[in-house]
Amino acid sequence: MTKRVLLAPIDPVHDVGLKMINRGLKEAGHETVLLPPDLPPEEIVEAAIRENVDCVLLSRTLGYDVAEHTARFVDIAEAAGLRQKVKLGIGGMAIRPELGAEMGFDGAFGPGTTVAQAIAFVEGRPFHEITGIGAERTRPDITEGFTYSYRHPEIERLLDKLVDQFMEWVADRSSPAVQRAALRKQILETERNGGNATELRQQYGKLCTGAAAAYYTNGSLPDVVRTISDRELDLLDEYCKSADKNGPSKDIRRGAKKPLVFTQYGTGCLVTDIAHVKLLEAWAADGVVHFDPSWGARTEGFLEGVLSHKGDGTIITAENLAKISQSLQKHTLFQVRAHRGLNTPETVMLAGEVGAHLTKININYGSLAGGTDPERLAVDGYHAMRYAAEYGLPFDVVTNEELAGVPAHKAFAGMLVTAHIGRRLGGRPILQPLFCKGAEALIKGLMDDNHVDFNAAKVMALRSIIDAPIWPGAPVGFMTHTEDRVQSAMTTALHAALGAAVGVEAVSIASTDEAYSGGPIVSGSRVDTLRAVMEALRFFGSAQIAPTPKATEMANNIVDGIVKVLTQAVETGFVPGLYQGVFGDPEDGAYPGRAGKGTVTRREQCVR
Amino acid sequence: MESTEKRQPLNALLDGLDIETFFMCRDEAEGRSLMLALLNQLGFSDVDIVFIEHRGPGARVRGRAYLHRPGASHPFGGQCA
Repeated sequence: MTKRVLLAPIDPVHDVGLKMINRGLKEAGHETVLLPPDLPPEEIVEAAIRENVDCVLLSRTLGYDVAEHTARFVDIAEAAGLRQKVKLGIGGMAIRPELGAEMGFDGAFGPGTTVAQAIAFVEGRPFHEITGIGAERTRPDITEGFTYSYRHPEIERLLDKLVDQFMEWVADRSSPAVQRAALRKQILETERNGGNATELRQQYGKLCTGAAAAYYTNGSLPDVVRTISDRELDLLDEYCKSADKNGPSKDIRRGAKKPLVFTQYGTGCLVTDIAHVKLLEAWAADGVVHFDPSWGARTEGFLEGVLSHKGDGTIITAENLAKISQSLQKHTLFQVRAHRGLNTPETVMLAGEVGAHLTKININYGSLAGGTDPERLAVDGYHAMRYAAEYGLPFDVVTNEELAGVPAHKAFAGMLVTAHIGRRLGGRPILQPLFCKGAEALIKGLMDDNHVDFNAAKVMALRSIIDAPIWPGAPVGFMTHTEDRVQSAMTTALHAALGAAVGVEAVSIASTDEAYSGGPIVSGSRVDTLRAVMEALRFFGSAQIAPTPKATEMANNIVDGIVKVLTQAVETGFVPGLYQGVFGDPEDGAYPGRAGKGTVTRREQCVR
Repeated sequence: MESTEKRQPLNALLDGLDIETFFMCRDEAEGRSLMLALLNQLGFSDVDIVFIEHRGPGARVRGRAYLHRPGASHPFGGQCA
């Protein structure tokens, strides 16, 4: 129904906000009267009566005497009989909701109020913060539209050779992790059909070590782990429902399709994680990444149940992942990492079973900087990629070995090998270069002038090789964060903006506690960076960030380096090359991991 | 969840409370001491300095009190492991 609205700035000059609302109201079909600034309350009230309006909207930007001005207006409106007839609203930089309510306004809107919010007030309907595509947010597929065709024939030829060799090598190999993943799948299927999985569970327990072995032997949990009670889960469910009631969050990209913004959780406590995930969703994160404890990666086997862990990283169990998955809004992407450790095939299988949307696999990173034996992770990674293909889970191939000091070209060569294996298995890999200030950049002075060129060069290099999705991480700005939250949020936002400018599909961001090591990440720090990224993406929009000509030179050097590494790897073979330092040696900071060494079995012992 | 009228502010905290301010102080060490003392005076025991930078007349400092540490407690009725 059409409303008649009077708009009046009670400031000497500031009326831009009201003009925007005036335009919005007219476009929404309402009739408006916009008064000039700085009229006395008597004239505003007189105009409201004369114009026979349904609603009066006032604005106030300047902070002095706000209470006096607004109180005087309400007094005069009441004396004139206007207060009882029309709806009164007030907004502007100087207005706080509590002040407006105290003064007797029907609605009071502070800084950040949108035109849509003001229109909803006039129309007397509830308002949910919906902007751009936020109202229709859907779950995007990062890999959509990519052909994975190579633009660099020599690199394609080398990868084909390497992967041919690898496929032959891996065909008759298995590991305890591969066997456990198959058993876990059977356990889930058996119990889903109402069967008894006791025997399968016993077999599974025999393939475990450490805390997992103890659990399957006598049901005990480590001292730092406990089962979360039903009461806690009930209260948490209530919190989640309450969070979701507030409607869809803002759109962090203001309608642009990319980059999607991911952020990682993993406080150790599933309850706190879910509490954080809900605020990440509220502040418009597109996806969340499950971060598991480091000891879990070095233990053969997973525990069971809804568990809390006193320490960094949230334990992977089918129940924990399912609980997280159930807590997410339908548009939120859920990634479970399987890029290192002794449980990668089962991790991907569980991710698929609980309805996660993405996973993370990289044989090179996990075995050169993640502590897992290369042979073991090569076998496990292969089977993890088979599960990823089976469940339709795209996976990023993270190159975090750069943080250890491995040069980008060596890390990228490894990433391309894993991605090529993934493609052979029918998977959809996503390339994940680091936007970071790693050792290579420091030693070679690649970022002495700016932080744009080398990061942009990585994307340029990969784009010149293959038509594949690119998702820098993880998180962007690694090694540039400090404990200063302003600096930390700023560097994250700038790196995300660079990602947007070079057209990547997604970015992973940290909280402003990234560089703080004195305690767990708090919720406010998570909001800091999301808010900063939103502002940076707003600021740059579709404007470009131009790298200097040096970026092209850097990109060419990376590509040349990749060709050399792959050429050498064809000579050694992929897995031997991992041990021999082809993809990064001790001088680079890469050390073949030892977890799981000697556990790979041949065909006669294979289950899967 | 408790109604707003009944809730105590600290019961509504999800995890930690940060205080950020500027202390007039001689050096970083004094700034740290002042922030830790302030947090203790407010009744918090699990406290830390997240960030401090001393220049000129004093220090910009951010202190933190943890009300809940993951795995130890949370505001949904969880207790120590």
